[in-house]
Amino acid sequence: MIVTNAAPVPSQMDGAGGAQQSGEVFLEVEGLIKQFPGTLALDRVNLTVRRGEIHALLGENGAGKSTLIRQICGASQPTGGRILIEGAEIALPSPQAAAALGIAVVHQHSNLVSQLSVCENLLLAETLPRRAGVFVNWREAHRRASRLLKRVGLNIDPRIEVGRLRPDESAMVSIAKAIGTNAKLIILDEPTTALLPVEVSVLFGHMRRLAAEGHAFLYVSHRLAEVFDIADRVSVLRDGRNAGEWTRAQMSRRAIIEAIVGGQKSWNEEAMQSTPTRGAVALSAKAICGGRVAELNCEVRAHEILGIAGLPGSGAEEAFDLLYGRHAMTGGRLEVAGNQVTFRSPRDAKKAGLALVPKDRLAESLLPGASIRENISLPNLGKYVADPLLRFIRRGKERSDTEAIARSLSIKMAGIEAPINSLSGGNQQKTVLARWLASGAKIFLLNSPTAAVDVGAKAEIYALIRRIAADGAAVIFTSTEVEEFPRVCHRVLVFREGYVVGELAGKKATEANILNLATGDGDER
Amino acid sequence: MNASLDTEHAHIRPRVDLTVWFARYGTLVSLVALLALFSLARSDVFPTVNNLLNIMNQISILGTMAFGLTVCLVMGLFDLSIAAMATLGGYVATFLLVQYPETIGVPAAVFISLAIAAFIGLINGFIVSYLGISAFIATLATGSIITGAMLGISDSKTIITGIPDEFMMIGQGSIFGISNPILIMLAVGLALWLLLEHTQIGRHLYAIGGSAEASRLSGLAVKRYAPFALAICAICAGLGGLIAAAVLGAGRPQGVGDGYLLNAFAAVFIGASSLRPGKFHIGGTLIGALLIGVINNGLSIMGVPTYWQYIVQGVLLVLALFSAGVLTLRRS
Repeated sequence: MIVTNAAPVPSQMDGAGGAQQSGEVFLEVEGLIKQFPGTLALDRVNLTVRRGEIHALLGENGAGKSTLIRQICGASQPTGGRILIEGAEIALPSPQAAAALGIAVVHQHSNLVSQLSVCENLLLAETLPRRAGVFVNWREAHRRASRLLKRVGLNIDPRIEVGRLRPDESAMVSIAKAIGTNAKLIILDEPTTALLPVEVSVLFGHMRRLAAEGHAFLYVSHRLAEVFDIADRVSVLRDGRNAGEWTRAQMSRRAIIEAIVGGQKSWNEEAMQSTPTRGAVALSAKAICGGRVAELNCEVRAHEILGIAGLPGSGAEEAFDLLYGRHAMTGGRLEVAGNQVTFRSPRDAKKAGLALVPKDRLAESLLPGASIRENISLPNLGKYVADPLLRFIRRGKERSDTEAIARSLSIKMAGIEAPINSLSGGNQQKTVLARWLASGAKIFLLNSPTAAVDVGAKAEIYALIRRIAADGAAVIFTSTEVEEFPRVCHRVLVFREGYVVGELAGKKATEANILNLATGDGDER
Repeated sequence: MNASLDTEHAHIRPRVDLTVWFARYGTLVSLVALLALFSLARSDVFPTVNNLLNIMNQISILGTMAFGLTVCLVMGLFDLSIAAMATLGGYVATFLLVQYPETIGVPAAVFISLAIAAFIGLINGFIVSYLGISAFIATLATGSIITGAMLGISDSKTIITGIPDEFMMIGQGSIFGISNPILIMLAVGLALWLLLEHTQIGRHLYAIGGSAEASRLSGLAVKRYAPFALAICAICAGLGGLIAAAVLGAGRPQGVGDGYLLNAFAAVFIGASSLRPGKFHIGGTLIGALLIGVINNGLSIMGVPTYWQYIVQGVLLVLALFSAGVLTLRRS
């Protein structure tokens, strides 16, 4: 097959005519229903996206945003309702079908191959131009890639490896790839999570220009400030239903936050009622920094549960890695029980009485295939060493100890020797907590301890966290679900762009207040 | 809805249990079946005490090396330098004995050659832990370096004359009718079984093999274990080569370990599919080595041409890994 210059690249045509077409409805979703076993993920959801519009889709984790996107891009089939494109009802049996109709998705984790060049990535799905039908005509391929890059206004060499690009550049390459497939609606699923503020504004500049050409964007994000910056229209989902829609002129920060968290959760909703017994300062961080954390000052006392909230990439989660010696601090001072400490590795942190429950249970905390006993005793084997030289393990003592702690946390198991994989998510997480309770840790760092845990087990884990604090440990907690902070914490620090932008305690620590601080400039209007 | 799910589950259960049972005991069953088969086929030659001891003797070098390899595979490290390490163990010991007959006795020669093996194993481990090179590549490289060094030192000449009898006793002597190589293999197996199953170090090796990140976050000094495991493996490989030299009464500077490399991996992986599927363990490795020994011995007694041994071993290895794989697949 010989491809000539005139080949694909749909360029000029819609570029010129696009502006006039803006305002026409491109995508219409009517009464969309998606039923999963046991849950109604989408309940009669409506959505209208016009040409040339940047439409933001907001909602908490689990509100149904991803499910809605999956129906629109053909990755999954709705149970009921209609999807219309340019006024005609259509079925989207596969992502290819959606792509053929002009719908492209750019995922949070970009769908580019980092070892390949920009050019190779852009033309990945196409037949490359050939010489004599065999050899790749790289000159022609690069010319095609350059043309696509020019259309999105990106000035980079198409021969460069994608892995060497800045995050905003690779996001733009993903968008260029989408445009290359003649996409009229580009869905961006949290594209800015990995981006620095300056990179975000570059990306937004490109998006505005492409929107002016007639491309529509459906933009999913957690960052309200960005939404105010870029969106022409905002739709909010809550619990699988429409919770409001605003045009740019009508947007109000307060109204949108209330729609996201739900009207019944007022701004001054009572948070964690009991104030903690005042214990001694267990851990104190003074101006520590490193990675995304620009500055963290905090103090947590025994018996206290301190929340560190923030959107993904704000530095909240990264702070945990610094405190536990997982990543090196580039500055600041850390004190444990009044003594200055430097952690060169998690090993040092553990020795100082810290415990980390990381976010990704399967990849970071469990020993898959091992027994519950082995999972609990992992950091504590030193306690069962019978002799100092050969370090034989007293298996009987290990078994009875781990069994006792598993029972006291009411872990539902066939026996202490049952494989960890046989437990439910909630019981697996309790096993991880049991591990650190058995180690006698004094400072617990908990990163999303209820991730991938069902609702009933979540309540048990909240109770367990409170018990850990009541028993005299200090707890630092973070979660990707903002609603958890008022339920769990006595006091919450809120991170934005690497800095702590506010502290909320007691009744002030509501979901709405936290979200307001985390997403914007603290203005409650 | 719930009821139908339950009946479906109850219906499936017996079949699933059979898979589990097969994955767990399949290799043991095939070992027993082969023993029975060969015993029936050649009842005059095969099922005799002498022949069974002979089988044990034939697998003793393989077993010794495979036990060591088990320790580093527990951590997920592939050691490809064991072939070269075996050559080194045998050659260095005989070289020292012949070059310095006055100053170096047999115990010293054994100690020095194994210490050199251990040292190279440590280097393997440091390359893996601190230079971040995968064990597969690192040991392939050091194996090549060792092979080259041995050829250089020896000028490619095999040492035959001047090896003292006491050294050859290591391979050719026996205690209460059981040959020394068998005893050495069993002693090594026992020591490493204790290490892996009953000491803190062993438990940490399994933990790191299970999840290095979880182990690191639990406060284990993860990087220290690769040098340890690879040194143990190197000592066992060197010891295997040393026994081979003592049996043969010659120090060959090349090719001693080559025949053992694939068989050692086969024994360990067959072992990982028996009794505790998906886990490397000493007991399993012993079963794997025995299986290989019984096949080779049985087939040659039956008068089957040697090339069949390789074919049967290969088929067996695939079957064993498949049955273990089926189980782990089903688990996740």
